[in-house]
Amino acid sequence: MRNYIIRRLLQMIPLILGISFLVFIILSLTGDPFAALMENPRVKIEDIRRLQHQWGFDLPVYLRYFKWLFSIFKGDWGPSLLYPGRMSYDVVMARIPVTLQVMGISFLVALIVAIPIGIYSAVHQYSFADYLVTSLSFFGMSMPTFWFGLMLMILFSLVIQINGMPLLPPGGIMTPGILSEPFWVRFVDRLKYLVMPVIVLAFNSMGPWSRYMRSSMLEVVRQDYIRTARAKGLSERVVIYKHALRNALIPIVTLVALSIPGIVSGAAITEFVFNIPGMGQLTLNAITKNDFPTAMVCLLLIGFLTIFFNLVADIVYAIVDPRIRYA
Amino acid sequence: MARDITTEEAREELISPEEFSYWKMVWKRLRKHKLAMVGMYMLIVIIIICLIGPLIYRVDPNYQIEGPYELLSPGAVDPNGVRHPLGTDDFARDVLARLLYGGRVSLLIGFSASISAALVGAVIGLISGYYGKTIDNILMRITDIFLCLPTIPLLIALASVIGKGILQLIFVIVVFGWMTDARLVRGVILSLKEQEFTEAARAIGVPPSRIMFKHLLPNTLAYIIIGTTLGIGSSIIYEASISFLGFGVQAPTASWGNMLQGAQNYIWRAPFLVFYPGILIFITVLAFNFFGDGLRDALDPRLKL
Repeated sequence: MRNYIIRRLLQMIPLILGISFLVFIILSLTGDPFAALMENPRVKIEDIRRLQHQWGFDLPVYLRYFKWLFSIFKGDWGPSLLYPGRMSYDVVMARIPVTLQVMGISFLVALIVAIPIGIYSAVHQYSFADYLVTSLSFFGMSMPTFWFGLMLMILFSLVIQINGMPLLPPGGIMTPGILSEPFWVRFVDRLKYLVMPVIVLAFNSMGPWSRYMRSSMLEVVRQDYIRTARAKGLSERVVIYKHALRNALIPIVTLVALSIPGIVSGAAITEFVFNIPGMGQLTLNAITKNDFPTAMVCLLLIGFLTIFFNLVADIVYAIVDPRIRYA
Repeated sequence: MARDITTEEAREELISPEEFSYWKMVWKRLRKHKLAMVGMYMLIVIIIICLIGPLIYRVDPNYQIEGPYELLSPGAVDPNGVRHPLGTDDFARDVLARLLYGGRVSLLIGFSASISAALVGAVIGLISGYYGKTIDNILMRITDIFLCLPTIPLLIALASVIGKGILQLIFVIVVFGWMTDARLVRGVILSLKEQEFTEAARAIGVPPSRIMFKHLLPNTLAYIIIGTTLGIGSSIIYEASISFLGFGVQAPTASWGNMLQGAQNYIWRAPFLVFYPGILIFITVLAFNFFGDGLRDALDPRLKL
């Protein structure tokens, strides 16, 4: 096991280098952020050349990549171009708390709903409720998140109004000027802004998760030890919730581990629709507005977390399921 | 009309290849899958409407009515006496006509992107699985790298560079969509190449390219079909997301995604503009997912995707 982990950790290094190179190439295609300065008559051409030299834009792209890579090894991620005067790394870190809050809550809601309905529809296979759950999961998977968000906005902010005021605010994260209010007012205010994004995100991931739970449960209840448990005369409740559930939950561990990168990286399009200043929105902005140092930080962070939690998923899987052996 | 049946004929009838053919079995299993059949009928209706609809409802989707006739509500009649069953958009264009033409664009992108992605993935998986060793190692590490990339942001980055046409968009979706098919096909090839028929082909000196494309690839057809069907839904959603953010199909060409982009600014004044394209995307993707899920079970009951 220890050798396995060491080997996997070593394998991460070329993978992360490959990701950084590929992302760098794709982002470099978007062009030279200083070229736009050429059209500004107040900026001297020598200044632009100097900037381009500093950033390596006078070098071919693969050399620029190495220049960037060496500055990363020195811990320098470069300044943000979108937020002048701030370092790209700090810009990204400042966005993480908001995303963690929105994504974390959605993740918990999705998990708390998906697991019970997955179990229920497995235990009552081919019943009306099973078909209902299956259909609903497909709905969640097939719904474009941004459209679902817009629909909720129409419903909660336009159709349902109380005394001429929308029931829920259509976007953003807090009411202006709320910071001077007492804690519980701020808390309720924050919750109001969270309701719609959480519904959208949770509904989206609930679909695959409940189906996953259902098929995992169906597989377990077919096994011999479940038949033995039934033959002993145990009640159906004990058989399902004590004997079957524990094994059926094992694959869910993988699911949880693989979802963690998403909790940090955020959902770009949902954040865009609800105007939430989180990681996803920052990533989109940095890419489309040519702020490549910030975009690199965001994309590499996502890539790194994805690889890392893939490893975590495999290790945790081996720990909870002694049948799995890694050599 | 009794007729003597020879034993030979009877035996042939019993084990006639039609009766037991793989595709007939698939169709039999598929027909038992309720959701898959629902999805299939939904798809047939949607595709027919998008193909035939513009021939019956002859309104130019890009024609802008002169004068202040933007955002007419559904059913309104404009000064030329033309009724707009679903109203007009922010440029005073007929919404129904745009939905019909937009559906063609969205379906075209969905189909071609996922078919191309499945083919690219299949070829990579085929080469990787057949040659093994170093080639396999390199190709699979590249696949790993692509699998770890955040799709949506990079789709947008690439789309904003390459250009905003339909073909470019298809290309971009393929670049980030071939990996699952590659892995799946590689796995199948690994087991196929150990079987006798491959060994026999190699023994009589059939060149590797012919073994791969004539003997092995046809055997992975079921998996390519599964990959394609399940991929169409997500390709349509990718198209819609990119166009919604303004980096995909460009106006005046309509697609369901870019119709939403324009509509978002009028969400308070004309909510129906947001509703129509989205509900069509939703129903279409849902139908593909229903159908794809059933098809996967029918083609290979053991496969998990």
